[in-house]
Amino acid sequence: MKTWKFAVNSAFLGKKRDRFTEYQPDRTVEEKFRMAASIPGISGIELKYPFDLRDVPLAKRLLEESGLECPAVNVDIKDATYFRHGALSARTPDARRRAVSLLTEGMDIAAELGAGIVTTCPLADGYDYPFQLDYTTAWGHFIESLRLAASHRPDIRIAIESQPHEPHAKILLANVGMVLYACAEAGMPNLGANLDIGHSFAAGESPAESASLLAAKNRLFYIHVNDNPGDGGDWDMISGSVHFWSWLELLYTLDRIGYDGWLGGEVAPKHIGPDAAYAINTRMVQRMRLLLERMGTEKIAALVRQEGIIDQTFEYLSRCLMQDPVEPLLRRETETITSGKKS
Amino acid sequence: MNKLAIITGFLGSTKNRYMSYQEDRPLREKFSIASQVTGIEGFELCYPADFENPAELKELLERYHFGVAAVNYRSRRTGQWLRGSFTSARASERREVVDDLKRAMDYAAELGCNRITTCPLNDGSDYLFEMDYIQAHEGAAETLSAACAHNRQVRIGIEYKESDPRARCFFGTAGETASFCQLTGADNLGVTLDIGHAIYGGERAAQVAVALFRAKRLFYVHLNDNDARWDWDMLPGAYHLWDFVEFFYYLRLLGYDNDWYAFDVFAKEIDLKENFDAAVMLTRKMEQLTDRIDRDRMAKLLEERNPSKTVPYLYSLL
Repeated sequence: MKTWKFAVNSAFLGKKRDRFTEYQPDRTVEEKFRMAASIPGISGIELKYPFDLRDVPLAKRLLEESGLECPAVNVDIKDATYFRHGALSARTPDARRRAVSLLTEGMDIAAELGAGIVTTCPLADGYDYPFQLDYTTAWGHFIESLRLAASHRPDIRIAIESQPHEPHAKILLANVGMVLYACAEAGMPNLGANLDIGHSFAAGESPAESASLLAAKNRLFYIHVNDNPGDGGDWDMISGSVHFWSWLELLYTLDRIGYDGWLGGEVAPKHIGPDAAYAINTRMVQRMRLLLERMGTEKIAALVRQEGIIDQTFEYLSRCLMQDPVEPLLRRETETITSGKKS
Repeated sequence: MNKLAIITGFLGSTKNRYMSYQEDRPLREKFSIASQVTGIEGFELCYPADFENPAELKELLERYHFGVAAVNYRSRRTGQWLRGSFTSARASERREVVDDLKRAMDYAAELGCNRITTCPLNDGSDYLFEMDYIQAHEGAAETLSAACAHNRQVRIGIEYKESDPRARCFFGTAGETASFCQLTGADNLGVTLDIGHAIYGGERAAQVAVALFRAKRLFYVHLNDNDARWDWDMLPGAYHLWDFVEFFYYLRLLGYDNDWYAFDVFAKEIDLKENFDAAVMLTRKMEQLTDRIDRDRMAKLLEERNPSKTVPYLYSLL
């Protein structure tokens, strides 16, 4: 089975907040590098631009010193000052120009840091109310801005990240279908997806299916791993802590489609701290990968190929996972029922 | 007719995971803004933030002729009670919370509103096997019973919510909150029904209002709207016009019509006065629409249960 490298997201190593609470202290870039390098299983750091990349030579030096790689530069295009009414989709050319500039600056920095990818989650591009947005115009601008950014340099790939909502009730790039649509419309080979597994669950998708669809169009560039209960909330929880079987299916699928990119992570540190959160997240994914190896991906593939045998598939999968024999329990139950009938 | 109030917290800086909106404002400025909103007659005050200078607060209430709908007891504090307030596993924290809540209750009595509303946002969990639900239940019963015993004239309304900031709040639905109140046996413990929380929690607001009323636990109502996916605190009626009409219709029938509605509406970057003017106007419009429903006719329609007659009738009232 394939192996993948794991990365942290620098934004998740400092202070985090939600609507009501703040968690963790602010940390300097140096502290973030030190922390990332200390986490077992982590070999990369996805760096947030502009916040953690205000001093590019420093980042370069810290990468060298820590031995970490930078798999992607994560460009923030939701700055409240400029993008109140959209970034890539904004009606005002100034806002669109600024959003595209941030992306192209991020691309240049990515090239300098040896990262082949720029990721971005266009969360300013959305709306709250019906009749608030002219969708035709907004989507037109959105795709044109993406095309413009991607054409800046073909050697750096842009991985766009869908999310169904937040901070707006509706985000334009809401799901995998919209990502594929945007990529097809823009027509740029270096435009693809950063598939955030939690966002995929929040959008009601099966991430394994989303990964397959993206890979079929050569658009699966990068992945963020985490989990949530599928209630629409992007809780950034430990991978596999909720959607265990879907997670196994995803890793199995990534192996089948030959995904050879990184597994970046976005895991909420809340009370346990980012180092502990990333450490267990990585271990969970590795354990699930090892479990799949034990199950045998060829064996699973043979089962999946056959129609109408989902009972056999789960008999096999559950037997591999939970190895205690269940037969004695079933027998005892039958006996109890039989003796009950007799009396 | 219910009077309309704004929760003071919504007139200062607000934030979500990604964005900050508006600026921090002193209480004096919040009064000034709210007083310019046509149709607002009072505040839901936030404790402890609004009670730093009680003398000033009283002076402002008098100067602006503002009523107090309720005291909102904020059990979420920066750097404090992060693993639960009412439900905390630590006895010392539970004691702190009760002592503090008693102070808020004293203010509620002093101001004459005799009502506390509290949304226990840090009482909940993200992961399975993270929270000992049995202990949490016992902790919540202990703290809230103790607070209720402090002054039986002050009613405490628990504002339930499905999630945020935890993946599952401890008080997530009307049913589990009402049953909890009944188990504690305190008559002054009940529910604040936030229609937005009901909508995004998959509840039918009018049905929930009836259930809570019958259990004598419908203490207070918050108004806002959302797209049934998240608690966006949007303008009332932006998404769920008919849910509001049905809700108002039943509140009138139940007799919740000489009390307060409080708005928790998130203005985001929109001008605050303009946003709350719209909230007031939309609420009154939907109430007018509700009043056009002929009660006898509706009684007959409810007997027939024939939507092909009921829905056209409702649309004929527009």
